[in-house]
Amino acid sequence: MISKTLMAASTRPIILAILSRGEDYGYSIIQKVKDISGGHLQWTDGMLYPVLQRMEMDGLVTSKWKLSGESRPRRYYTITEKGRKELASELVSWRNVWQALVRLTKPIPAED
Amino acid sequence: MFDLEKEIRKWKKSLQKYEVFEDGLVADIELHLRDTYNARRQAGLTEDDAFRQAVDQVGTAESIAAEYNKNRLVMLNRRSPLRPGRFMPALVWNYIKTALRAIRRQKGYSLINISGLAIGLTVCMLIVLWVADEWSFDRFNTNAGRIYRVYRNESATQKNSTSVLTPPPMAAALKKDFPEIVKATRFGYWRKQLVTYKDKSFNETRFMHADPDFFDMFSFPLIKGDSETVFLNPYSVVLTEKTAAKYFGEEDPVGKMLTVNNSFDIIVTGVIHNESLNSSLEFDLLSPFEILLKESIGEDNRDNWGFNSFGTYVMLEQSASSENLNQKLKGYLTKYAEEDTDELALQPLTDIHLFSNLGHDLRNRGDIKYFWIFSALAVFVLLIACVNFMNLTTARSANRAREVGLRKVVGAGRPQLIRQFFGESILMALFALVSALFLLEFLLPLFNNLSGKQLTSAWRNNPTLLLGFISLSLLTGISSGIYPALFLSSFKPVRVLKGTMRTSGANPLFRKVLVIFQFSLSVFLIIGTLIISRQLSYMKNIDLGFNREHIIYLSIHSELHDKYGSIRERFLQNPDVLHVTASMTLPTDIQGSPGTPTWEGRPPEAKMEIKADFVDYDYIETFKIPLVEGRSFSRKYSTDPETAFIVNEEAVRRMGLEKPAVGRRFGFWNIDGQIIGVMKDAHFQTLHQKIEPLVFKMFPGWLRRMYVKIRSNNVSATLASLEKTWEEMNLGYPFEYRFLDEEFHNLYNSEARLGKIFQSFTALAVFIACLGLFGLVSFIAEQRTKEIGIRKVLGSSTAGIVALLNQEFLKCIAAANLIAWPIAYFAMQVWLQKFAYRADIEIWIFLLSAALGLAVALLTVSLQTLRAARANPVDSLKHE
Repeated sequence: MISKTLMAASTRPIILAILSRGEDYGYSIIQKVKDISGGHLQWTDGMLYPVLQRMEMDGLVTSKWKLSGESRPRRYYTITEKGRKELASELVSWRNVWQALVRLTKPIPAED
Repeated sequence: MFDLEKEIRKWKKSLQKYEVFEDGLVADIELHLRDTYNARRQAGLTEDDAFRQAVDQVGTAESIAAEYNKNRLVMLNRRSPLRPGRFMPALVWNYIKTALRAIRRQKGYSLINISGLAIGLTVCMLIVLWVADEWSFDRFNTNAGRIYRVYRNESATQKNSTSVLTPPPMAAALKKDFPEIVKATRFGYWRKQLVTYKDKSFNETRFMHADPDFFDMFSFPLIKGDSETVFLNPYSVVLTEKTAAKYFGEEDPVGKMLTVNNSFDIIVTGVIHNESLNSSLEFDLLSPFEILLKESIGEDNRDNWGFNSFGTYVMLEQSASSENLNQKLKGYLTKYAEEDTDELALQPLTDIHLFSNLGHDLRNRGDIKYFWIFSALAVFVLLIACVNFMNLTTARSANRAREVGLRKVVGAGRPQLIRQFFGESILMALFALVSALFLLEFLLPLFNNLSGKQLTSAWRNNPTLLLGFISLSLLTGISSGIYPALFLSSFKPVRVLKGTMRTSGANPLFRKVLVIFQFSLSVFLIIGTLIISRQLSYMKNIDLGFNREHIIYLSIHSELHDKYGSIRERFLQNPDVLHVTASMTLPTDIQGSPGTPTWEGRPPEAKMEIKADFVDYDYIETFKIPLVEGRSFSRKYSTDPETAFIVNEEAVRRMGLEKPAVGRRFGFWNIDGQIIGVMKDAHFQTLHQKIEPLVFKMFPGWLRRMYVKIRSNNVSATLASLEKTWEEMNLGYPFEYRFLDEEFHNLYNSEARLGKIFQSFTALAVFIACLGLFGLVSFIAEQRTKEIGIRKVLGSSTAGIVALLNQEFLKCIAAANLIAWPIAYFAMQVWLQKFAYRADIEIWIFLLSAALGLAVALLTVSLQTLRAARANPVDSLKHE
């Protein structure tokens, strides 16, 4: 089970990563997160929307209502240039954290 | 039975309890719920279960709302506070309505404000017209920027001495020697000419002569004749419209003959329009210079480089620089006149009217000093009016305080309010402008009378001037509105609306400072007026040291000169004629003579500049010049016409001669003679100049003016009988005479004019200042109505209350005097420096101006305070 804090910290980079592949809407984003994480990342679906709103306020994504073959319009989100930069810097941070963890947990070689 | 839509409606209602869920957000989540539901159904769940799971999956409304709320807080913090737009057109009408209402509600104050500003603006506009007129001199010439006058710098012989008079051959020589000079003309006058057409004849004093280039250089429009050919015939003349009408009336003048001095004829070849043109070159008739050489000064003077009597004007090539040419002109004169050490220099045509200070200059000149003095006066008057506006507006600001508070509460920022109040002051200024334009029309003739100008209403067709007037009024509006705008817009709405604001309006100290400022200016102007008029009366009444009353003078030029002897005989037969004499120049106009005289015991290196005139017998007697030594020219001594000199005391002092000076040898103009008399020093010149050495010598050939001293009683009958005698002698010239004392008065024309303008402006300034004071006092009296009522109830007398109310203002006026005195003292000291002989600045002038200022202010203030003090306390205390 992934801790609440880690979940909270990873939400934005994950959304950015998904949107960096192309515009998307809320339900689809949730499904992708579930599929890719193999079910390890379990979000409360409703919480996604305030996060998206906040990201839009921060200028990382933009949104647009679109009719795509259905009767109801959906809100589609697109990553902005600022969002891409944010994603890149998040990736560096996550990699640094991961590398540090990996190095620290290597078995200690026996001292001759 | 499960109804999906119903369930979703119910679920949506649970969301809508939280106001943070806007419709868009709800739609977003609703779709998500539907998607999840559909997915669950596909996975095989029952409708009921699928819906329950979907709702769980989406999460509780409460937690989602909490997240949205966080976002909203962030958003609120980030958003900048509400800013009203820079300019809200929707409010303009409201502003205008408010402004008009403010004006209407306070008719008295608005009247004071607008009339003050209107007078100030009118004065400024008059001055602007005057300045524009002065400035326009010679600028109508399209080539004005390329035309220069050549003048002589005579500093080599006499210190700082310059002269605009140059010899006849110079114009042509310069044109030949300097390729950059493309045109050159002489412009000059020799003497009065008698011009006759049929039975009409006039002595023409503005009969000028020029070269054909004149018409290519200057832009006087020829309405008849062709500029290429008008001067082809040397015996031709171009007339101004006025002159043409004088001789020929309605007839076409071109081709007509005029007779000059009864001796030669000239043909009219053109008519020039010069009425509306401001030119420093003035003429009524203009003829080729050749006539002068042939008929007046003689052909042999054609190449006389010593005959310095005429103006020379040159026009440079477009690209040529006058500075270069000035350099090249160094030492030029020696090329033609070896001993002539004078230097030549160029003066731009456009400098002649306002900036020229050269010797023997043209008459019709302005003075840049007056330009500054007048402009300063205009600014003073306008400033006083602006101060009125500031004072009254801020004093009455309490009335507007609520409005300001309310506007601020409903969202107006300070900038909006500042703009609103600026708008109001500008509106006032525009009202003032309209009244000022009417006033201007009305006052223009009066101002012309004062300033000696012929300003017309042509400004109405001059867009630059109109635009200038509008900007002037805008500027006035802005400068008078700046303080009220800043002050009014600074009110704190809470205090205003609670009613805890003091109702006395603006800082009373600042208001006092403004009143002091106004009255300092007023007192300054009063002192200036007094000192100028004192100097004027001093100059009129000073004992000049000779008598100039009841003396008429006539010009005896051309043939008249030869008949002087017989005219004199005939005139003397008239019992009312006391003396008849003659001289070369008018006593007001005696010039310095080049060279240094010789005298007995003169050290070899000693030099003395001396003024000289050639006179006839009886000159000393006619003017009653007292002699301190010796005698006057006398027929008893046959040597007098040859070798006798009469000098003044100053000359004796400068020569260092010991008494008795009479009998000493004295020589001038290569004449060796002796001093036969010493006159007391007399002011022949203007009082601007110190009395200088002067010498009189008899020289019958050079007499040009005849003076007739007549009895003081029955002047007009005497003059009529003299005219009759003149006609009987059939001299061929009209009897034209003038009074000599007029000529002396004319010396101070510009000072007299300054005095009159100062007087009127001072009156206006004081009037406006009092207007403001009146407004201020009535406001204060109104505010203190209750206080006055209570004081009266408690036993205060009317006089006591008037004194109480007056003292505050009297203190201001006293302070204003203290400020104005030193400034006025120094400024007037500078002005008086122009006069070698001046009335002292005495303390009583200051005391008198203080008294005048106080009296006027007291009168103004008391009008109001008396009314306030007399009011029945019952009325003022009854209603609240």
